[in-house]
Amino acid sequence: MNVARAELRKLLTLPSLRLTALLTWAATLLLAYAYAYADRDAPLDDAALAPLGYTQAGFLVLGVLAAASEYEEGGQIHTTLLAMPRRLPLHVVKALTLGAVTLPVAAVTAATSTLPAGGATWTPAATAYLTLTTLLAAAVAGVVRRAVPAAILLLGLYFIAGPLLRARPGGIAAYLPDTAALDPPRGAAATVAWTAAVLALAALTFHRRDA
Amino acid sequence: MVSRVRAELRKLLGLPTARVGLVLGTLTAPAIVLLNAPYTRRAIAAGTLTDTSDLGLRDLGVGLIGPMVLGVIAVSSEYTSTSQHAPGARQLTATLTAVPDRLRLLVAKTAALVLVVAAQAAVAATATLGLTQVLHGDHVPVPAPARVAGAILYWTLTALLAYAITLITRNGIVPLTLLVINSTVVSVSYLLTKITDLASYLPDIVGAQMFIRDADFPVEIAPLTAGLVMTAWVAVLLAIGAVLFQRRDA
Repeated sequence: MNVARAELRKLLTLPSLRLTALLTWAATLLLAYAYAYADRDAPLDDAALAPLGYTQAGFLVLGVLAAASEYEEGGQIHTTLLAMPRRLPLHVVKALTLGAVTLPVAAVTAATSTLPAGGATWTPAATAYLTLTTLLAAAVAGVVRRAVPAAILLLGLYFIAGPLLRARPGGIAAYLPDTAALDPPRGAAATVAWTAAVLALAALTFHRRDA
Repeated sequence: MVSRVRAELRKLLGLPTARVGLVLGTLTAPAIVLLNAPYTRRAIAAGTLTDTSDLGLRDLGVGLIGPMVLGVIAVSSEYTSTSQHAPGARQLTATLTAVPDRLRLLVAKTAALVLVVAAQAAVAATATLGLTQVLHGDHVPVPAPARVAGAILYWTLTALLAYAITLITRNGIVPLTLLVINSTVVSVSYLLTKITDLASYLPDIVGAQMFIRDADFPVEIAPLTAGLVMTAWVAVLLAIGAVLFQRRDA
């Protein structure tokens, strides 16, 4: 319990996380407005979820910053491990606290995007998707251990490789982690599986590697 | 001047992340042309692709992540800590010790970035357009040299845009997120053009008009004007970045 409280405190006091959450929410609001405006002349079929397709980037950044902050200058990870040397429980607690911190941010962001477009039924699914995306990003950053390269990798995959692969008929695009953003029922399994797999990989590397 | 530019070139090309940007930016667009060749051929045969003159130039866009990464990393690498165990130690301290004149340093850094990105753009454009000619030569006209030059200029200006924003934010994450989201298939700027025609003058939208002739743009802007507008954006942001770089504590 102490570990959870300590991890929670670290996450809540990171200024970069607060700023990211705020910017993400503001961007969602702006895009929801843009879609509502565009909706007036030409009805869009996915206006409820489309803004989230962009602002999920904020959640990717949130996960990256949360995980990479331990490895920045000062090497906070050494202090963390001194206080809590059992790495696997620490990793689990880290993932759980990040999920708990992200959940309200994700819920507000999801509601901002879905409610104006009349897609209130999507809100819980979108909240879960954004939270899982954050955990996935944190796991990737935990393996890469550097914020900028991890961000390049994730943003490149989500915003450049993903759309390119989806533009091709058939293929592997249905199995990408961000499929749920466009096709929730089918993509949910892909998102959960990817997040679990990358978290397991991060746990393994965290357990094995020198800090 | 030459030695300063050479030093900056060496620093930039020695960064692992910059190498990733070089490889990604140079190879993505030709790879996409190659991968999409069967679909493109079918679309041309079926007659669904009516205007083929934009074909290769349009594919170039996916490689833009290269210049973005290079522009961001050229600045952000100076500000990231050199080691976990030496808090506060950043490369910028060493750089400024070697070249205390900040404006000269910035000129050399900008020159190094422009050289690298222009070379990368030339290689990527040649490979992409050459491949398009080899694969679909019968249907696609050879693009005019001015349009290819416009594409290379667009890449260079995009790198400078990323570089200028990073000079202002001093952090790589913000400009990267902003620019990468905006380079996705339906960009945020493009969405904004649906709301107001003024959004046609945002740098990425206006810049693309230097080499793409397309009916999708709500406001038709001549290539030369488009280039000037994008250059003006970059010049203003660079000027703000330069003033901040000179005034703020390193």
